[in-house]
Amino acid sequence: MQAFDCAIVGAGPAGMSAAIELANAGARVAVLDRGQKPGGQIYRSVSESPLPDANVLGPDYTAGAELLTAFSRADITHFAGADAWHLGDDGRILFSHLGETCELHCREMLVCPGAMERPMPIPGWTLPGVMTAGAAQVMLKSDAMVSDGAVFAGSGPLLYLIVAQYLRLGVPVAALVDTTPRQNYLNAALMLPRALRRTELLKKGLTLLAEIKRSGIPVYRFAEGLKVLGEENATGLQFTTKGQTHEIAADTVFLHQGVQPNLNMTRAMDLEHRWNLKQLCWQVVTDPFGQTSVPHVSAAGDGAGIFGADGALITGRLAALNILHRLGRLTLAERDRQAAPDLAQITAMAPFRAFIDRLYRPTDALRLPQELSTLVCRCEEQTLADLRAGFDRGARDPNALKSLTRCGMGPCQGRQCGHMVAGLLSEWRDERPETIGYYRLRSPQRLLTLKELSRYQAASAPAQTEAAQ
Amino acid sequence: MFRSLRPKTAPEITLSINGHDIIATAGQSVWSAMALNGQTVTRRAALSGEDRSAYCTMGVCFECMVEIDGVPNQQACMRQVSDGMKVSTQNITESSEATNAGL
Amino acid sequence: MKADVLVIGGGIQGCATAYHLARRGTSVILLEKDYTGRHASGVNAGGVRLLGRDVAEVPLSKASMEMWQTLDEELDADTGFRRNSVINIAVDEGDMATLRAREGKMQAAGYTHERIIDRAELLDRLPHVNPDCVGGATSDLDGYAIPYKATSAFRLAAERHGAQVVDGEELITLRRVGQSWLVQGARQRYEANSVVNCAGAWADRVAMMIGDNVPLSHAAPMLMITARMPHFARPVVGAVSRQLSFKQFENGTVLIGGGAKGFADRSNNRTRLDYAKLANAARITAEFFPIMARASINRMWAGLEAYMPDNLPVIGAAENADRAFHAFGFSAHGFQMGPVTGQIMADLVLGEQNRFDLTPFRINRYDRKVL
Repeated sequence: MQAFDCAIVGAGPAGMSAAIELANAGARVAVLDRGQKPGGQIYRSVSESPLPDANVLGPDYTAGAELLTAFSRADITHFAGADAWHLGDDGRILFSHLGETCELHCREMLVCPGAMERPMPIPGWTLPGVMTAGAAQVMLKSDAMVSDGAVFAGSGPLLYLIVAQYLRLGVPVAALVDTTPRQNYLNAALMLPRALRRTELLKKGLTLLAEIKRSGIPVYRFAEGLKVLGEENATGLQFTTKGQTHEIAADTVFLHQGVQPNLNMTRAMDLEHRWNLKQLCWQVVTDPFGQTSVPHVSAAGDGAGIFGADGALITGRLAALNILHRLGRLTLAERDRQAAPDLAQITAMAPFRAFIDRLYRPTDALRLPQELSTLVCRCEEQTLADLRAGFDRGARDPNALKSLTRCGMGPCQGRQCGHMVAGLLSEWRDERPETIGYYRLRSPQRLLTLKELSRYQAASAPAQTEAAQ
Repeated sequence: MFRSLRPKTAPEITLSINGHDIIATAGQSVWSAMALNGQTVTRRAALSGEDRSAYCTMGVCFECMVEIDGVPNQQACMRQVSDGMKVSTQNITESSEATNAGL
Repeated sequence: MKADVLVIGGGIQGCATAYHLARRGTSVILLEKDYTGRHASGVNAGGVRLLGRDVAEVPLSKASMEMWQTLDEELDADTGFRRNSVINIAVDEGDMATLRAREGKMQAAGYTHERIIDRAELLDRLPHVNPDCVGGATSDLDGYAIPYKATSAFRLAAERHGAQVVDGEELITLRRVGQSWLVQGARQRYEANSVVNCAGAWADRVAMMIGDNVPLSHAAPMLMITARMPHFARPVVGAVSRQLSFKQFENGTVLIGGGAKGFADRSNNRTRLDYAKLANAARITAEFFPIMARASINRMWAGLEAYMPDNLPVIGAAENADRAFHAFGFSAHGFQMGPVTGQIMADLVLGEQNRFDLTPFRINRYDRKVL
């Protein structure tokens, strides 16, 4: 069994910046990531884009190449294509890599599971042809794949970015259906003065919107009552705005309403979590350096709280500094001295983040299913009506509801329905989400073939290995 | 309709999707090979048997589970194509029966 | 709150006890520190098995099995019970000899529900079994149920008959004062004439408050479940001499047990898994059923279980206090006995005639002699 000072799970901006920092300070670092190349979702394929000209993706994307270069130059053991299926709070990680089932041990662990898109449970959201805006991005970045004449619906910077990227590439877009409610603009306006200290970020956003407007594609604002049309496949999107109902034909509908931490790793480790009132999602509790309720486990990047790629770079570095201190390689004073500029930067970024969070806060009508026949659990096909029936039969806890209805028991392990179920129970019980809690999650992190598990042999007794260190 | 903007420079490989031989590019995801060839149904829903297709393409929704070389529950968005690979739509529902044992 | 009877613990024993008391018109309060079915009763393997029981348990288990056959109608709920039989597989003649010895012992005791099957019948009923297997034993009344659904069915039926179930209420103290049992819970106080201890892995603590010491230990048997597979095994499967145990549910998922234990962390209400042992269970499963090599494991977990040194439960009146009763320590095979245990406990509490010999289950069977 290989042993490391620190193992990092996830090679997005947070994991990469932490790994670079740790390796440059002389720590033995392992990075495990499912991708064949580092970069995470944001910098996917940045080192070898399949697009004729990756510049259409914008400077925020191409800037990732520098980080990848620094990562490749540092002395890091990178397990590319490694699927970490068990993270133990005893420092043990079990993972599948190149057809083998492997085990490593680390003194410190840093989990950087990244974000996932908030599900948008509108009627018809499980029809083939309905995808997320993030999916449009992933397909573009990794496979140079686009869908002609798609509808983009929802709210948030990522949605506008992918529309702009499509337009730059000359890909026809049927419409942008913006669900940001009027009230959000009013509420966010109050936060504008503080956010304006970061004019460049605001400008970036406004430029995107102007780019879309200039293109002349239909843009509908303040849309409500969204519904995907179609029986066997998506054939279009129906919605209402300004008292009028519209139907737009399209065989691909891309939905988006912001991102939330991908919780399964931090939840399966039984780390303490809290409900983020502003972002309406659960996140792992950490100190400013990413240290969790289990001291030798840290978390950074969007998986520890949504802060965007720039924030992830910083939180990754901060976690690394604290880990170096915990490893005895940095004094506390030295950690704090080196961390000062990053901590200041985080503080400076916060007002703009708060502004974005407020402006694009999802509405309950889109965050929670509204029609009784809408599927909440895509895997086990449990509708809103099924869940309500389970609740009425006494299942008032997410886990009890799961046991009774199978909602959350399928292959996605609750990733899609977890927040919805917490939100519904919170509404039905008229209690705060903190009181409701979340699914009890466990390893494996994803479907594990019986063969993969069978291959695992605890070759060296972990207790001895730990003692030997 | 999906289409690819990839310049035709990368090496090509052959795989089979639902019995059709398909030319794909090395490094491409199984999902993109399927979608670019009009094979967008990845699996059938477990209870209703309704068609499902890729939703997130980043490994968190498990809608794109297909059978690859006889092994079910493979995420088409996370797997890369390889020469000679056999991909098929996953058809396991609650009423599926195993074919009789190969005793 | 006041009631005739206070039941501690919302597992299947506690919920069934509350149900049987309430339907006979007794006022009952059930206290559960988490939610009903949260621990072993909600997360066990769901085996409803008469096959291979300790002879001392057979009368109770047989009566319970009769009750399972009509439990859905009785409780007006779906417990998920399916009478699909259980088969214990013999891999060689040594196993067959073990089975024949067991058969002799059972027949001597007058029991005929277990039956030895030959290789042909084994292959006929489990066409996907490794053909090297030579036979097995079966019990045809047996099957499985869905643990959480069954436990919650008892709870709902108890509530329909007027029982009060209090979830999220932890027992802080339990005292006999005069003719009453007084309970201080984390949230409220309770008073009752009788108390029934069905606290599962926590039952030794409750027993101590009642005044009885008991050598209860706890462990965390591990389970894993697959994503749906095409249907290939209708009976519940076990093996005579190997750690093989699985069942394929109607929805196609396959639950693999085998008795391997994880680590029980009772004070923190949690368990940890031993992946090397799970890997071993995976290997054994694929060895017996090659089709399982294509399976994908979706979830793994372990429940907190209470064990007595002889793997037999404690069922009966308290030794050192009046109006107190115990039903716990089922040692990982109590789920099937839930229905009959509820009935027995109601009989004991109400002072009615009980038809079973409970001496093997008395709480003081481990009391040391004074030296």
